[in-house]
Amino acid sequence: MKNNIKVYRAMHNLTQEALAHEMGVARQTILAIEKGKYDPSLDLAFKIARRFGVNIDEVFDYGEN
Amino acid sequence: MKQNTFYFLMGIIGLAEVALFWVSVVLRNPFIIVIAFILGILLIYGARVRISDRKDDERSALITQKAGARTLEVFWILFFAISLGSLVMGFATPLGIPPPPKPFPRVPHDEPNLGYFGLLQMTLLCCMAFLYIAFRVYYAKKYGEWDDDEE
Repeated sequence: MKNNIKVYRAMHNLTQEALAHEMGVARQTILAIEKGKYDPSLDLAFKIARRFGVNIDEVFDYGEN
Repeated sequence: MKQNTFYFLMGIIGLAEVALFWVSVVLRNPFIIVIAFILGILLIYGARVRISDRKDDERSALITQKAGARTLEVFWILFFAISLGSLVMGFATPLGIPPPPKPFPRVPHDEPNLGYFGLLQMTLLCCMAFLYIAFRVYYAKKYGEWDDDEE
């Protein structure tokens, strides 16, 4: 699953550490999500989208298949 | 508590367990090591939740879950197979197969000889622990545990 977390982080001037702290997860988790190595739970995905003030499908792209 | 303090504490508990195992063997009292081991593990679990510089989240839970499930998937077969083999050894004696030799000559004749069985179980448990660590490393790598990125 692709995502635009890195872009939104840059737009909101947030570090991985800061976002991770706000979401209550480890920095490695944010990094793994950004790199597409880990798909977050729905709960975390909604929390991230809500933090950036956008809909979940603007941050995460499930793709065609 | 810092993570390094936790590892230090684990080392001390490990050393204490080895010493108590020896005391247990010398005194021929299995309860010493059984109770000490359970208390040691409880102490480690209690200390683990007090680590302040480590974050357990859904990704680390997934890694633990997957590694545990895979280890169990492999080891229940091995445990079952070896237990079946042990049952055969136990039931075979009346049919004429001689019992296995006694491993420790110091064991008095009137006591049941469980040394080999304990050793076998311990070997299996060690193999299981190593396999679990291998699966953990595999899944941690898969889910980006050691990746680094420029900010």
